[in-house]
Amino acid sequence: MATTPRALTYRGIPVWRHALIIRWVVQIVSALVAVTLVVWFFANIVGAIQERDIPAGFGFLSREYQTPIGEHFIPYESSDTFLYALLVAAINTVVVAILGVILATMLGVLIGVARLSGSWILSRLMLVYIEFFRNVPLLVQLLFWFFIVLTLPPVREGYVFFDRIYVNNAGISMPGPVGSSLASASAWLALAAVSVGLGVLVHRVLTWREDRTGRASYPLAAGITVAVACGAAAWLIVGSVVGEAPLVISSPEPYGRFGRIGGGFTIRAGLLILLIGLVIYTSAFVAEIVRAGIQSVGRGQTEASRALGLSGIDTLRHVTFPQALRVIIPPMISQYLNLTKNSSLGGAVGYTDLTNVAITMTQTAPAVSIFLLIMLAYLAMSLTWSLIGNLYNRHIRIVGG
Amino acid sequence: MNGLMKLVIAATLFLAPMLLIACSRETPEQTSDPAAAEGSRLDAVKARGNVVCASNNGIPGFGFIDENGNHVGFDVDLCRAVAAAVLGDADAIEIVPISATEMGATVQSGDVDLLVRTVTRSSSRDAKWGNFAYTMYYDGQGFLVRKDMNVPSVLDLEGAAVCVTQGTTTELNLQDFSNQYDLGIQAVTFEKTDSAVEAYRNGQCDAFTTDHSGLYAYRSSLPIPDDHIVLPETISEEPLAPAVPHGDEQWYDIVNIVMSMLVYAEAYGISSDNVPTAVTGNSKVDRLFGLEGSFGQETLGISRTAAQDVIRSVGNYAEIYHRSLGDDGIGLPRGDNTRNALWSAAPCSDCPKGGQIYASPLR
Amino acid sequence: MVAGQGTTPTPAPVLPPRSEVGAVGWARANLFSSWYNSLLTVIASAAVVLGLWFGLNWVVLDAEWGVIETIGGRFIIGGYNTDQACPGNDCFWRPQAALLMTTALLGMLWVVAGGVVGRIAMAVAAAAALCAFLPYSMERMGLDVRLLLLANLPALGVGWALARYTPVGKPRWVLVTGVSVFLLTVVLLRGIPGVWGLQPVPTLYWGGLTLNLLLAVAGIALSLPLGIALALGRRSDLPIVKLLCVAFIEIFRGVPLITLLFASQHLVPLAFPEAFPRNSLFSAGVVITLFSAAYMAENIRGGLQSLHPGQAEAARALGLAGWQTTLLISLPQAIRNVIPTIVGQFISLFKDTSLVYIIGMVDMVEIGRTFILGNPEYRISTKEVFIFIALVFWAFTYGMSYASRRLEQRLGVGTR
Repeated sequence: MATTPRALTYRGIPVWRHALIIRWVVQIVSALVAVTLVVWFFANIVGAIQERDIPAGFGFLSREYQTPIGEHFIPYESSDTFLYALLVAAINTVVVAILGVILATMLGVLIGVARLSGSWILSRLMLVYIEFFRNVPLLVQLLFWFFIVLTLPPVREGYVFFDRIYVNNAGISMPGPVGSSLASASAWLALAAVSVGLGVLVHRVLTWREDRTGRASYPLAAGITVAVACGAAAWLIVGSVVGEAPLVISSPEPYGRFGRIGGGFTIRAGLLILLIGLVIYTSAFVAEIVRAGIQSVGRGQTEASRALGLSGIDTLRHVTFPQALRVIIPPMISQYLNLTKNSSLGGAVGYTDLTNVAITMTQTAPAVSIFLLIMLAYLAMSLTWSLIGNLYNRHIRIVGG
Repeated sequence: MNGLMKLVIAATLFLAPMLLIACSRETPEQTSDPAAAEGSRLDAVKARGNVVCASNNGIPGFGFIDENGNHVGFDVDLCRAVAAAVLGDADAIEIVPISATEMGATVQSGDVDLLVRTVTRSSSRDAKWGNFAYTMYYDGQGFLVRKDMNVPSVLDLEGAAVCVTQGTTTELNLQDFSNQYDLGIQAVTFEKTDSAVEAYRNGQCDAFTTDHSGLYAYRSSLPIPDDHIVLPETISEEPLAPAVPHGDEQWYDIVNIVMSMLVYAEAYGISSDNVPTAVTGNSKVDRLFGLEGSFGQETLGISRTAAQDVIRSVGNYAEIYHRSLGDDGIGLPRGDNTRNALWSAAPCSDCPKGGQIYASPLR
Repeated sequence: MVAGQGTTPTPAPVLPPRSEVGAVGWARANLFSSWYNSLLTVIASAAVVLGLWFGLNWVVLDAEWGVIETIGGRFIIGGYNTDQACPGNDCFWRPQAALLMTTALLGMLWVVAGGVVGRIAMAVAAAAALCAFLPYSMERMGLDVRLLLLANLPALGVGWALARYTPVGKPRWVLVTGVSVFLLTVVLLRGIPGVWGLQPVPTLYWGGLTLNLLLAVAGIALSLPLGIALALGRRSDLPIVKLLCVAFIEIFRGVPLITLLFASQHLVPLAFPEAFPRNSLFSAGVVITLFSAAYMAENIRGGLQSLHPGQAEAARALGLAGWQTTLLISLPQAIRNVIPTIVGQFISLFKDTSLVYIIGMVDMVEIGRTFILGNPEYRISTKEVFIFIALVFWAFTYGMSYASRRLEQRLGVGTR
């Protein structure tokens, strides 16, 4: 029996194996699944909201919040609105994040360098520090510091240094600048910012010229001079127009029956504890990053630099560190992001951060709306960190590498 | 930058539905209750075999955990009384400890049978959360200060730092009070009451504010209680009452009547050790204990002798008070003329009369 | 060393000067190599001596460790065995049985992974067995409890023998056993209604270190499949899928866990139908899993990115389909490469489980805190409690990171 040969006509790829079709089917199916899940979740939420009569909406934002916020860096009254209170709370979080990042970086770099020190015992000591503080939950550390700070003397028996600096378990008060009036202070601050901008501009122009011509023109000194001079001029102008100095130094002083400290600049206990906890915790991670970064720089680099006669410190500053930075920056940014997020533990030690205020607000406002708002706020903060990281990465990219 | 833009768009996409939800309901409207449709809560409780009470595990006197790890306190006893009346077993309870911020959502959800957690009744809570039974304790916000500060009155707290727990009306009252009398009080807020007390004890604050009952409770927990005094005035009214979820009137009635039983038993001198099991001749007592006549047990769906179970296993109001709040507990005074004494119109010379604790007649 | 020509006669070995070898030489090289290193050594030594002096003084003389004894087992299981959680207080054996199963599992892992895992398994079993000899009175810690604790040693042996001498010793079966042990633990702790001896214990009473470990293990295990899916989605060239995955990952990585946990308490009961459990443990589990999945996805994506493209190309050249390449070639290698990272994530998740206090769960930290604040006579011992908790956490996290580093060396990550 002769078999008829199968016709070798090309019928095209079967539909179920067509790459383009598979791609689109997969996309549509996964999108459908995702959308169904999301819709299911949110439909449930909407249903529950209606069934159980749970309030929702954003009308509350313009209502008065009527609740105190322990710490605030911009003026706050309990008659302010929810929206403004959220802003106050967000600024609290941002302040802790910025202060924490600066201090944790400084401490972390110090410890990371000490970890690689030629002194064996110092290096071991730092190893113990790193391994201990990064392996214990931040909450435990914060609670520990909370109880430690409370053992400081109370305000009436607190320490006073130079008659000006008060240290007690309610916080640390020190002299600080205070705007004599809102108008003059903000006017001068705006002008000062412009002056700094001018200084930076001068610095850049001179650097550019120096790079091109090779003639030394002291860009840094010139820039600082310009900024200071313009700032001082602005001070005099604002002062003479308003008739008072824009900022005055205010000293803390006890007042009233209870001897509480007023005036000056106060770091309250909550902020202090949160900062101590965050800085010590994060610095352990930073130190490890710095150590790994420095070790990633080839040994030959250091040896070459020492051979050229640079001292140990100079080698670190001019050779090792600039190269290590490329390795250090990306994980560092993620530590900064972690620190920002970890500041949400402030409530446990009496600091009114964003999460803490939001939790309080759910008492008198719709929880769903509040969570949405603070989620957006945190996302904005984390996006800012990624943006900074991206920009920096672009800045230090090896050109033509 | 492209990735970043994508991220922003994606986040917006993801958050958009939530935004819709958040905006979906500006004004709440009355809806039918799920519990009502599913059958009565009483049946559910009987089928389940225990009464679920949302309470607290950290307020001395009212709801806390003793050294054996058991839930005890005034609020817990009220829960036990309901369990005794409905199931005949005061121990058939489950305590769900919740924080102050969860109270509304918990009772609204109907997941618990009873909310007994030093809850202040108020009109908006009555409307939104659930139904409030009789007030079982009259409280008010006050201040705890160090004796050596010589503060005679709350109006002398000018410029003081006051420790307060956040997320409660306490914080709001403190602010109002400070504004009203222009005292410039500096509020130091804490997530947990315990931390606030600890901060006060260490002198981070000059005063600690919460309800009077709480002040006495925390005062008794300080190393030398006599170094601290509770200022006499209150700056708010806090009638504490158990609450039940909306939508089941029978259950609400049961809880109310159990509360009445406790007060009634005290008024007629019946305590856990002399619960009558045979007709006494006093028709009011006999009716209460199901020995003669009825006060509506059948309609409520509880046993005729429910009151016997309640008083025998939990005691009357005075016993409950004494055990947790009074001398055996946190030392809250209950003088004859304080608000938490019984009110009585009985024509006897030694009956307490001056208080506000009162039960409507059982008949 | 200069490569010498064969003709040069080897000079007689010159011994280094005495000051360069031995203790003196070591000290010169590692402690006093330059003037500032000497200074640092002196300062650091002073710090160590002072720290040890005051630290030991405090630990031995001043500290009141009685509080640890008083809290005792509550650190481990919270209120699980109280009258309210378990009338009659006879549920103590259930966490104990779970511990026995875990030890047996560790015994099996010992055979499979060897080395450092063996040492850790022995340490765990020994620590558990040593707990049997704690100087508690027999009323507080009965003979049954002590015997169950002692049984951890034989359990380790049984697990070891099973893996050594039976086919159960294959990694695949160990994995299956691990999953079964976890599920059994949950069922055992939860109880089965109507079964004698297994009366249900409400999740409300689960607490202490058990809760921390349970949440961390569940979080990592459940987030692994989710994380893989998200990682693949994020790497895919399908724009919609990619967008969805990026959105999920970035949202859960950008918002603090504590905020998510608190939101979960409001949203999870609303988002799931009534049939789902309504308790804090469930909410916490859901949020921790999702949170962990976002990080897991990024870790696995890192692993996938680290693979040489040649791997996938070779697979395609051999005729494997796209999904086969991913499942059989890329993923196994990627996951093997990121095991240390996943251990690191587990450690940080374990630390993060202490945040569940915000939704009213009583983990180990919260046990310590509520005990101190609820029992004023122990306020003086606050430091002791927190130092103890810190050390327990440290022992676990440091042990895990140590094991992971050793494992990394054995797997030869980065050296192949």
